[in-house]
Amino acid sequence: MISAISSALPFLLDGLWMTFKISLATIFFGSLLGAMVGTVRASPLRSLSFVLGLYIHALRGTPFLIHLYAVYFMLPATGVAWLQFDAITASIIALSLYTSTYVAEVVRAALEAVPRGQVEAARSVGMSTLQTLRHVVVPQALKLMIPPMGGVYVIIIKGTSIVSVVGVSELVRAGEQAAQRDPSHMLVIYGLVALMYLAYCYPVLRIVRWLETRFGAGVTINI
Amino acid sequence: MNWNKLIMILAGSLCTGFLSAGTVKAGALEDIVKSGELRVAVQTQGPPVSFIDKNGERTGFAIEVVKLMAADIGVEPVFLDYDWKGLIPAVQGGKADFLAADMTPNAKRTLVLSFTEPYLYSDVVLYAKKDKPFDAWQDACAAGFSIGVVQGSSNVGLLKDKCPEAEIKEFAGGGAAVAQAVAADRVDAGINDQAAAAGYMIEYPDFHILEGAPKRWPLSFGTRPDETHLLRWLDNYFMLIRNDGRLDELADYWMRGPAWKADH
Amino acid sequence: MCPARIAAPGVIMKVPANMDWLVDIYNFRVVAQFAPDLVRGLVATIWISALALSIALVVGTLTAFARLETRAGDRIGATYVQVIRSTPLLVQIYLIYFALPELPLLGRRLDEFECGMLALGLNAGAYMSEIIRSGIEAVPRGQVEGAKSVGMSYVQRMRYVVLPQAISKVVPPLLGQTAILVKDSSLVSFIGVFELFSAGLAILSERLMPNEAFMTLAACYLFIYAILLFLATQAQRRLGGAQ
Repeated sequence: MISAISSALPFLLDGLWMTFKISLATIFFGSLLGAMVGTVRASPLRSLSFVLGLYIHALRGTPFLIHLYAVYFMLPATGVAWLQFDAITASIIALSLYTSTYVAEVVRAALEAVPRGQVEAARSVGMSTLQTLRHVVVPQALKLMIPPMGGVYVIIIKGTSIVSVVGVSELVRAGEQAAQRDPSHMLVIYGLVALMYLAYCYPVLRIVRWLETRFGAGVTINI
Repeated sequence: MNWNKLIMILAGSLCTGFLSAGTVKAGALEDIVKSGELRVAVQTQGPPVSFIDKNGERTGFAIEVVKLMAADIGVEPVFLDYDWKGLIPAVQGGKADFLAADMTPNAKRTLVLSFTEPYLYSDVVLYAKKDKPFDAWQDACAAGFSIGVVQGSSNVGLLKDKCPEAEIKEFAGGGAAVAQAVAADRVDAGINDQAAAAGYMIEYPDFHILEGAPKRWPLSFGTRPDETHLLRWLDNYFMLIRNDGRLDELADYWMRGPAWKADH
Repeated sequence: MCPARIAAPGVIMKVPANMDWLVDIYNFRVVAQFAPDLVRGLVATIWISALALSIALVVGTLTAFARLETRAGDRIGATYVQVIRSTPLLVQIYLIYFALPELPLLGRRLDEFECGMLALGLNAGAYMSEIIRSGIEAVPRGQVEGAKSVGMSYVQRMRYVVLPQAISKVVPPLLGQTAILVKDSSLVSFIGVFELFSAGLAILSERLMPNEAFMTLAACYLFIYAILLFLATQAQRRLGGAQ
């Protein structure tokens, strides 16, 4: 068992590193896109908000593997030069789109949770729309966003495991390959994989809990 | 408001744009020579056909055949690794020039891809724990027993045909998961190709291979159907290395015994 | 006697000539041959999701209340939730399937379907307990104090004050979590359970038609999702809670 662990460990650590890189890139781009989508969804632009609603539901209602398939295999088939992605780029794009749907709902719920009266009060003392957002809405909404956002990030970290389909050697893939060489220790290897996810995700959840005690519970969203 | 209409139209045309997508043509044999790269879609389905060895190197029988091929024409082999779900679209969409996996051609599959003449035939075997009441593979097919098989492999259809009485359990986690299921008494027997099963016999001392082989699968590489030159070239290449004995050397090392175990 | 057995072709649809453009991108004639399996898979997915959902609701509610009521319950509940949330579902499924011994009550090991259902239920239960807990906590403390001061018992306080408000808050996010549960249920194919995803992938493995396989799967999962979405909007309207 010790030898099984020591021979699998270097591969798993490489996998963890890949998971770490992809998840960080995804969290960054997904949050950026999600913040934009969520802001529009909370705004009075009804038709745009409806279309973005369709976007959110289409992505949430289907398994992620299908999005990855569309981004990596179907978009290049259009023949457009800039839609030809390599496996890692395609993975990050597909995961970011998926993440953005969750982030968008968090952002929207948080923006809408700021009481209307405050916005009206800010406007009545002569603040512009931008000033109202900057000084009244955003500071409060940010606090409400923190706890659910942590949950979304942990979902994304684990969601990265599916990109192995297009050959990205992340943690689960590395575990699978190690188990192929050493099938009789499959459970030990998957146990190690679980421990590594735990080591990555648990601190994120701890930080969220700590923030929760500082800033309050935040919004619950339809995830 | 007119904006609403405009946005709807934009969104609608975007959707139809995606649907009307055609396919690109890329990577004929001429392109391989020009670019100096042989892009091959592979599946890491496990030793000894295609796997990552203990040094972190991609190797295995199919992989070494491709490496030999690339060296002979002086190009760099580039292995694109996919789960089996990604293999077909990778070749169809032009990500790879051909696929070098242990995919077996059949009437329906050859409608979509062209397969080379087989470069090797591989026996399919069933294996089980020694304490099960099985000698020949047919024994495991009786009613009341269950057989584990890798999801999406040709062996699924084979079992349905040869063992209609037994319960067939498909595992999405590959050959290692099936072996684990046999070890944990989750299924009574497992099915895989002879070479992979021989590997499990070393890993699990309480396993044995059941007598006989329900089928002998041809191993072929696959290309897009319009790549006739590439297909002919691959066929010719297999003929060449079969004649000069190099194919047999590789097959002896990888597929006909555990010789590879010491190095990988 | 005929030496070769000829497999029954299944449903073969005639394609009208004016539908050619559609067959080019999505060959529904081939998909129709897989229709019986797809329906069986759809039913299996709905069934295992429904059973896992019941487990998740029971486990989630118990965990939520345990965490709110006692210190020890909070400790244990928090650990359960954090561990489940921090590890991938596939590993949880493998552990339950391969490592779980015979259960004393049943006198046997759980079979594939039961293992999958249990793993999905325990996984979703962790997420749902968080939703339920925050729903209950969202009921203002003052209302509970008020109910206490007019002499309501614990059960009465829950029945008349806390739950009516909490339920309207938690039902929409619970349905959202159910949508995730439905998609996650495809992972039980790793332990050999036949469900929608494996049924759809047969189009890929048998006919090498990825477009048909993935588009069909997308449509089937969207169908289930649309039903859940409809239920969520209905619930929101009826309960009049959470905007």
